[in-house]
Amino acid sequence: MNGASPLPFGDVFFGWSWLDAIIRIVIVVLLMTVVVVYLTYGERKVVARIQQRLGPNRVGPWGLLQGFADAIKLLIKEDIRPRAADRWVFEFAPFLTFIPVLMVLAALPFARDWGVRNVTLGLLFVNAALGLNIVGIMMAGLGSGNKYALLGGVRAAAQMISYEIPLVISILCVAMVAGTLDLNAIAILQEDRPFLLLQPLAFVIFFTAMLSELHRAPFDIPVAESEIVGGYFVEYSGIRWSMFQLTEYASLWAFSIFGSVVFLGGWEFPMGSDWGWGWQLFLTFVKSLAWIIAVMWVRTTVPRLRIDQLMSFCWKVLLPMSLVQLLMNGFILVYDWPQELLTLTSGIGAAALVGFVLYRTARHPSVAHLVGSYKRAGAAAQ
Amino acid sequence: MGGAIVATEILWWIFAAGIVGAALGVVFSGSVIHSAIFLILSLAGVGAMYLFLMVEFLALVQFLIYGGAVTVLILLALMLTRMGAGEKVNGAQAPVAFMVAVALGAILLSVAVRTAWPGDTGDMPHNIAIEAVSEKLFLDFGAPFVIASVLLLVALIGAIVLARQEDGE
Repeated sequence: MNGASPLPFGDVFFGWSWLDAIIRIVIVVLLMTVVVVYLTYGERKVVARIQQRLGPNRVGPWGLLQGFADAIKLLIKEDIRPRAADRWVFEFAPFLTFIPVLMVLAALPFARDWGVRNVTLGLLFVNAALGLNIVGIMMAGLGSGNKYALLGGVRAAAQMISYEIPLVISILCVAMVAGTLDLNAIAILQEDRPFLLLQPLAFVIFFTAMLSELHRAPFDIPVAESEIVGGYFVEYSGIRWSMFQLTEYASLWAFSIFGSVVFLGGWEFPMGSDWGWGWQLFLTFVKSLAWIIAVMWVRTTVPRLRIDQLMSFCWKVLLPMSLVQLLMNGFILVYDWPQELLTLTSGIGAAALVGFVLYRTARHPSVAHLVGSYKRAGAAAQ
Repeated sequence: MGGAIVATEILWWIFAAGIVGAALGVVFSGSVIHSAIFLILSLAGVGAMYLFLMVEFLALVQFLIYGGAVTVLILLALMLTRMGAGEKVNGAQAPVAFMVAVALGAILLSVAVRTAWPGDTGDMPHNIAIEAVSEKLFLDFGAPFVIASVLLLVALIGAIVLARQEDGE
């Protein structure tokens, strides 16, 4: 982004602007590494608590050094490449999955003037980078020379392409309300109320589609261990496997900060501008932590969807709901109706969506349009 | 700002070399998967070129549509048709394809040579606000935009009709 971003964040701290950009991105990447190490530890700990286990508790006090031990173990493991693999496709795939996440991190505001660069088209930039996310995964699936990897790649591609549409539309709804694509400006606009209050339906859709983009349960079909032994990274080991792990947790972190800026008020709400950067960083930290714990909570609570359920949920439920939200926003904003109406309509929509999901869960399962083993399994369950 | 200008120029040459190299890779790699991946690289490089021209919106759209959608579609089609890495790409149609490619190349080159390009990009519009773009697109050119959307919608419905499995098939 050198020379192209219109405004650096605040001043150029470190000499020339290109040197400044490099130093800032290095700081963010180092921070990301520590965050990822503790996210792996934190996820195991949180999931263990929910499942009434203890989790890692041997390495260091309360197992706090477990993540570092795992990282060292992964780095010194042998790097195996299957003979049937397409060599360069196989070897570059983990790194190509990581690049989009790095691009997203470069545009995120951690606090006012704290970030790599302030991109005026921040929302669009994040979406464009996320669109490239699929390429690395498909390369891994195609290059591994393994049927399970190929299946995982196809599943991941189909799922991510589908869920990207409601994701983008839900972000677009917020952009309509905010009237800007600049992430910092969006945070500032949420001075007295987070956009979560104005756009609950968009928030629900965003959160669901985000789980799918991250391959998190209940949408972890591309990496389902019990079905396709791990999906597109089944052939990877050692440092390349850890690159996939790093990407997964780094994108969870990036998504949590992005989501908290767009929906929860980011570093601004409440009192962000008044109480200085320490409070702003604290707000970002707390909000992203809450976001991540919610993701883990969903993961431990909801069982995995079937592939046809996944697709029909996206195309028949999430996409129409997000379009409804977009239309409602259009009417309300064009005619300058009061903001409370946004809250009301979107709240009704969110309640309808959640209610529909709960109703479908509680209802007796139908096997009308299922084929093969699914039908037999469904009939047996009845 | 001298350092920044030099750095931009160096980066420009790196990206230019990358685009040309990746484009050559598309043609000469000999494997469809490799070609598709080189195509992504080349198109992303073109997106970076837009950044050097200070047209950010176009650059991001380039990444989003060509990098994220078109090439992913190619890769998905490759996956579904099980086009292996060792598949031969030169078939019986190679001579015809060669002639078409040469003709197209000649046309493109002659157009590129004959056009009177503005020598300096300095007076070109750049860093246009997104609001201005949307006003042009949705107000001044509203009708073509709607017609293009209808075309895409028709294509979408057509694809669904073609792909739809009737019961009992």
